Amino acid sequence: MLEIDGLRKRYGDLVALDGAGFTVRPGEMFGFVGANGAGKTTTMRIVMGVLEADGGAVRWQGEPVGFATRRRFGYMPEERGLYAKMRVAEQIEYFGRLAGMSPAEARSSADELIERLTLTERRDDEVAGLSLGNQQRVQLAVALVHRPELLVLDEPFSGLDPIAVDALAGVLAERTAAGVPVVFSSHQLDLVERLCDSIGIIKAGRMVAGGTVAELRARESRKLLHIVVTGAAPGWTDRLPGEIVSKTDRPPAGESAETARYDEVVLVPSDDQEALRVAGQAGQVQHFGWQRPSLTEIFREVVA
Amino acid sequence: MNAILLIARREIGVRGRTKGFRYGMLVTVALVVVLAALPKILGGGDDYTVGLAGQRADRLQAALAAQDAQADDLTVKVKKYAGTAAARKAVAAGEVEAAIVDDTTVISKTTVGSGLSVLLDTAHRIAATEANLAAAGLDPAKVAQAQQVAPLTEQALEGSGEQAAIRQGIALVIVVVLFMLLIQICTWVAMGVVEEKGSRIVEILLTSVRPWQLLAGKIIGLGVLGLSQLIAIAVTGLVAAQVSGSIPELPDGTYALMARVVLWFVLGYAFYGAMFAAIASLVSRQEDVSGVLTPATMTMMVGYLVGFLAVREPDGALAHVLSIVPPFSAMVMPVRSAVSDVPLWETGLAIGLMVLAAAGILALGGTVYRRAVLRTGARVRWREVLRAAS
Repeated sequence: MLEIDGLRKRYGDLVALDGAGFTVRPGEMFGFVGANGAGKTTTMRIVMGVLEADGGAVRWQGEPVGFATRRRFGYMPEERGLYAKMRVAEQIEYFGRLAGMSPAEARSSADELIERLTLTERRDDEVAGLSLGNQQRVQLAVALVHRPELLVLDEPFSGLDPIAVDALAGVLAERTAAGVPVVFSSHQLDLVERLCDSIGIIKAGRMVAGGTVAELRARESRKLLHIVVTGAAPGWTDRLPGEIVSKTDRPPAGESAETARYDEVVLVPSDDQEALRVAGQAGQVQHFGWQRPSLTEIFREVVA
Repeated sequence: MNAILLIARREIGVRGRTKGFRYGMLVTVALVVVLAALPKILGGGDDYTVGLAGQRADRLQAALAAQDAQADDLTVKVKKYAGTAAARKAVAAGEVEAAIVDDTTVISKTTVGSGLSVLLDTAHRIAATEANLAAAGLDPAKVAQAQQVAPLTEQALEGSGEQAAIRQGIALVIVVVLFMLLIQICTWVAMGVVEEKGSRIVEILLTSVRPWQLLAGKIIGLGVLGLSQLIAIAVTGLVAAQVSGSIPELPDGTYALMARVVLWFVLGYAFYGAMFAAIASLVSRQEDVSGVLTPATMTMMVGYLVGFLAVREPDGALAHVLSIVPPFSAMVMPVRSAVSDVPLWETGLAIGLMVLAAAGILALGGTVYRRAVLRTGARVRWREVLRAAS
């Protein structure tokens, strides 16, 4: 289990981290999201010892993290770092050896990853000649080669096509299945929503929300009522109790054949039962239910 | 330790297989061969083929053979011709370089080289003197005996002139090679540091190895490449000079000198390599490297220029002082040792000081590197990295 506790970091007058912290359990895929400059990279660099915190603690299995522990972590930095003039297989092996693997172990682990990440045809190419997607695969292989106990990946999916995303996600899922916690940051919130067991949202160096996707939703979904009514007289929505977030009288494409009037409202109700009565009196209620917000909506709300 | 070896091996493997390194090595070795053999090539060699025609041809041949026998690095071949016309034809055809005909005239295509000219003139004098003395009624046998004069033995107060010239030549090569190699390898160190820092590979590396291990591995790996180049150059140069006959006999102590050059290279490289690495760790982009390195490069240039001067004036005040003061001593002292006899205590002092300086700069450079290498972005200020441990 990785515990990050009350991290603080200042760069001169700029406060980068102001008590940020979260916990990642074994086998958990943790999505770390936040606006640019919110403190994601700073947090990850502190976890990996690349940066020193001004305060707070990082613990692994209950112990403060030191150099010896970090050797068993896998890391993918924000800006990609590979030796341009080294060949793919050679490079992955090299990092395996540096992390303390024997030549045979490093070789077999590198071979396995090369195959798994479909880099077989590129194994003897210099990294400089690879496409961005393939370089990213090599980068991931470098982070994984020594079979780390924890993975810390800064923006591993940025700039990848959907097929590469699937390949990467597949490899990560294998690792979490084997009990390895994975922390990764991303701006692709749909992806985070799809892949992660739990999510932390950071804003201005502080965690503003955290938990499983379901927990985040549960917290947020009480607020929004999604109502669809047909055949109502115009103006009925004024009688709805609460604040209307959005409304439209245009039915979604494909359902426009209906001749009756269409109203769709998203409401933050002050009284949900009253809202149901108003809708029922106005016309035929087609849909009435709590809206499940997407992670993007939660994120906007939390970070705004 | 294992990590250092791995890192060193990577540096050697990756840098050693670049075209730049391989061709550079080939070109250097070829250049050294040419340079070493150049005096011989330009001199045209002390091998002469001479044509003789005329009554005294036999006597001239004997006189030439006697000169041949007295000098180590001289061979004279003789071809005899029936008459002037035949000899003239042989010269024109290039069969012989020059021919003496009628006992009085030298025929050559253009001019006769000074070496050959002296040779022919001496032979002519001997033969003519013999003929004149015989004509005056002296016993030809006694005359021949009287002509047997042992050559002057040389006794130079400050070593033989030829040896001094050879020593100066060797010293010149030493200072040029040391400078070229040091600046090349140290630049590689600097570029390697920035490559790793700029691309953030260093962030991954430093989760597996310590900064000093990374730095040591890089410096050792590239140093091995530099040293192998130095040894290749020294061996090729010495072999080529001997085989081609440019330096038929190496001056005394040449091998000891070579050992000292290697030592100075190692010391100089330890100093400058650490210095270049520390300075390079301050910047994140390759294009900023040469700018920050300017002071270090200038220091190296000073050593080089003074070393150059020391070839001619090994005991001038400047050369004398800088041959002891590190880091200049790395290039000045080997030059002084090559051309003059440096007192042992001076050599010892210079080596001792340089070892101290190199150790100091390695420690300091290691600290600067450790503090600066993870700080990407703007150039890191000296004052920030040198401030007492924070």
